[in-house]
Amino acid sequence: MGVPAFFRWLSRKYASIIVHCLEEKAKECNGVRVPVDTSKPNPNEVEFDNLYLDMNGIIHPCTHPEDKAAPKNEDEMMVAIFEYIDRLYNIVRPRKVLYMAIDGVAPRAKMNQQRSRRFRASKEGVELTEEKSRIREEVLQRGGYLPPDEVKERFDSNCITPGTEFMENLAKCLRYYVAERQNNDPGWKNITVILSDASVPGEGEHKIMDYIRRQRAQPNHDPNTHHCLCGADADLIMLGLATHEPNFTIIREEFKPNKPRPCGLCGQVGHEIKDCQGIAREKQGEHDQFADSLPCSEQEFIFIRIAVLREYLERELTMASLPFPFDIERSVDDWVFMCFFVGNDFLPHLPSLEIREGAIDRLVGIYKDVVHKTGGYLTESGFVNLERVELIMQAVGVAEDNIFKKRKEDDASFKRRMKEKKKRMKADKPAFLPSGQFAPQALGRRGGPQPVDNPRHAAFNMRMHGRDQQNMTPTGSRDASDGGPSPSGGVKRKAQDSDSEPEPEDNIRLWEEGWKQRYYKNKFDVDASDEKFRRKVVKSYVEGLCWVLRYYYQGCASWKWYFPFHYAPFASDFKDIKGMFTEFELGTKPFKPLEQLMSVFPAASGNFLPVSWQKLMTDPNSSIIDFYPDDFAIDLNGKKYAWQGVALLPFVDERRLRAALEEVYPDLSPDEIKRNSLGSDLLFIGKHHPLCDFIRELYRVNSTESVDIPPELCHGIKGALDLDENAILPDKIVKSPVPMLKDITHNSVISIKFKDPQFQEGFVFKAVLLPGAKLPPKVLKPGDWERSGRGSWRPQLGFNPHRQQVHLDQSAFRALGHNMSRDRQRDGVYSSAPPPGAYNQGRGGQLPPSLPYSRQQQGSLLGPSPGYNQQYPRSYGNVSSSGWNQMQSHGSAYQQSQQRGPGGGNYHQRYEERRDHRGRQGDNSGRKYPLPPTSGRYTWN
Amino acid sequence: MAGGDVEDFLKQNRDSADLVEKFQSISESEKQWKFRREFILRNLSEFQDTNIDHLLSLSMVWANHVFLGCRYSQDLMEKVKEMAEDIEVEDAPVFKTRDEIMKQRS
Repeated sequence: MGVPAFFRWLSRKYASIIVHCLEEKAKECNGVRVPVDTSKPNPNEVEFDNLYLDMNGIIHPCTHPEDKAAPKNEDEMMVAIFEYIDRLYNIVRPRKVLYMAIDGVAPRAKMNQQRSRRFRASKEGVELTEEKSRIREEVLQRGGYLPPDEVKERFDSNCITPGTEFMENLAKCLRYYVAERQNNDPGWKNITVILSDASVPGEGEHKIMDYIRRQRAQPNHDPNTHHCLCGADADLIMLGLATHEPNFTIIREEFKPNKPRPCGLCGQVGHEIKDCQGIAREKQGEHDQFADSLPCSEQEFIFIRIAVLREYLERELTMASLPFPFDIERSVDDWVFMCFFVGNDFLPHLPSLEIREGAIDRLVGIYKDVVHKTGGYLTESGFVNLERVELIMQAVGVAEDNIFKKRKEDDASFKRRMKEKKKRMKADKPAFLPSGQFAPQALGRRGGPQPVDNPRHAAFNMRMHGRDQQNMTPTGSRDASDGGPSPSGGVKRKAQDSDSEPEPEDNIRLWEEGWKQRYYKNKFDVDASDEKFRRKVVKSYVEGLCWVLRYYYQGCASWKWYFPFHYAPFASDFKDIKGMFTEFELGTKPFKPLEQLMSVFPAASGNFLPVSWQKLMTDPNSSIIDFYPDDFAIDLNGKKYAWQGVALLPFVDERRLRAALEEVYPDLSPDEIKRNSLGSDLLFIGKHHPLCDFIRELYRVNSTESVDIPPELCHGIKGALDLDENAILPDKIVKSPVPMLKDITHNSVISIKFKDPQFQEGFVFKAVLLPGAKLPPKVLKPGDWERSGRGSWRPQLGFNPHRQQVHLDQSAFRALGHNMSRDRQRDGVYSSAPPPGAYNQGRGGQLPPSLPYSRQQQGSLLGPSPGYNQQYPRSYGNVSSSGWNQMQSHGSAYQQSQQRGPGGGNYHQRYEERRDHRGRQGDNSGRKYPLPPTSGRYTWN
Repeated sequence: MAGGDVEDFLKQNRDSADLVEKFQSISESEKQWKFRREFILRNLSEFQDTNIDHLLSLSMVWANHVFLGCRYSQDLMEKVKEMAEDIEVEDAPVFKTRDEIMKQRS
């Protein structure tokens, strides 16, 4: 879902849905890499059955990474993709099915977005190349050094679209990859692999959903299958909820903001292309051994547990005193539906609903009200009750005026704050800044702070310096103390104004009377009185909501339908929508791959198409030339950057496109005809799989009809098999499509075409928990925990509710104390500073404050070294004393931080450790953790 | 051919009227369609039935330029402007193309 803010919002509000992945790394022994054995139990303390890969989320970062140098050629890209899949496989370790889905031809509804992305990407690519060559020229002229420009063609990311040669190549490589792993990797031995490449229509994640939906609708499906879906899109969370499978987990890269990116010209980190100086590279490490490593850790992965999200939602959506029994499954579906109002790939979001402004919370509030009033849910198995939706929309509509006004106010106050901050940062230097060895230093810099040398003298120098300056400027004017030539106040103000960004002009002014008229006038170029047109927009939007929900719950209802406007109507315009939608046109067919390329590519990417087809994109006499503008308007729509705005591209007229293509279809070469045809999913298994003999037999008798998989041979998976003429067969060499990888000479893997189970037209996939499904144990803290008196709550950090807590025994503490005392030499400026917090108080009496930890004491058996305690000063309290209250408050502080982010988890774990440890050493705990005094905690004497 | 003339023309040529009327696209407002229809009608005689898609395409090029802010190649722009010479569009929206925004920024 094209709402990056959605995931952020979700993970902040429902922090416990996130679990960090544990990844076992390959070890190296005498220069030989020992691969991880993925047949071993999963280190994440959970076993997954099925892993689904939404491949486009992998292909994009592997082919044009943002945080490292781009691969030099297609072969390197393929290898990068293989390695990425290996990593995921190692983390998830599926035991039954690996399903890889590459985006195929998308429904028409998605094409507008694809088109807008590709038109932009093409322009951005050109601009980047231009900028690079311009700056390169400049730098070289100034005598800078830049690594030679490798003569490589700019990788046009637009080739990641079904129907291009690149995609065909990728499919070939993946077939090889699967066969290679199934032959040689023990973790892959028993797995069933299904590969749905770009020749199979449908978006990747929706092909995956279709597979899950169809499997769960047949009787042999195991209702407790644990699914793991890989992909970064927020809509995967919606899809996960929509399956109603109790065990569903999403894995994605952890998003870390402000990751350093290497400069595109010199490859060094720390500046952007436009600031490149062409300075020689600094040595990384003593012998330049870290030359290729970036100063940040490798991208890590996180799990998102849909089961936990369901727990949260259950808590939030539960409604008391309903006239009918509350059903969480239906409420979850309604919640998913409401999230679509805020944004999805197929419809522009309603102007009044902005996720940052708490739109979803607002909707949930309204929703509970509406369900009470109408006595029913909004949706059922992907079908919408429009009457009830209208009530929601009307309630939003009532608030619309205020939302816009508040948005304006928030915006203004944000700007004011930023301006003030900027001013502070610029003008308000502190009156006095220590200099020399006392000068403030940024934390975490290499080398670290140096020990202070001769502080008295340094202080004297600073004092003298300050006095001299004051003497020079007896009036004490600020400008002089800034040093350097002082600009007069007037000049300064001017400089400040000039660097404030130009405001995007806003002629809608949603916060001012008459906003609706202005909106329709500006966005749709119609008068507000044009009721007919407005109804048309609303009707399309209503159809869109129905289409999207159906897409998530039942599959693509119409390949043809799309939203034919660039903007959404207002919530208050949704009046009398009940009859606006009846049913979609039946029997629509997806585009062919090359047809889709024609409808989403700009003329600049025409090189991926046959020559005569390209001509249709550039020839002024082409009958579809209007689809391919050279330049197009961007409506910033209140945003600041071009990429955030709405690209005003014309819509494709399907009839005219088909008519034009009819004439060039005969020009296709056999190869292109093949690329343009619909393919099918492929199923791969190794020789140890029970289904293997069955498939070998099919090939032996050369069966011409499709045969159903006997479900008992394949973990209850159902589907039809068809012989594949290009199959991978046992004892046949599998040629490697990548030169740097070897052919598979002893192959025992077999592949065959696979087709999802088919259902009658009009079959409705029920959005319910399956009978026999067992919900995983609850993770969230029960609301009545405190009252139940069951002791302190221990949050669950991973998948395993019974995870063994780590603790140190006595000998470990001895070892720790021993080592710490040796390592902790008094070399840092802070080494003599007392640790913060109350816990020192007890010692304060025994030791002079200037010498809180003498060296002799550190090695003693008295307890952990101060270095250890220092890190967790807050966790000590004694239950029987006044310190208890204090600990309690820390406890709740901790819980808040747990709500905020996963960082709190660590703290707690250690806290538990400490408690544990204390229990074991109860006899001397009094000495180690003295009670905090009742008052004067921070006084030292 | 002003607005009124178009109406007269349509009354006299029912065939053309029916032919043209089905070309209004769903995204188009009445106002936009009124001008594009005029564009089509003015140039209809130059195009044969088999070539009507080309005319439609040109009409869209022109309409996309005027009402959506798209820009096409030089030749094409000149051609459609010529074809639309006598059409007076009142109160056409103003746009900023992507290139203009980018140029402004650097």
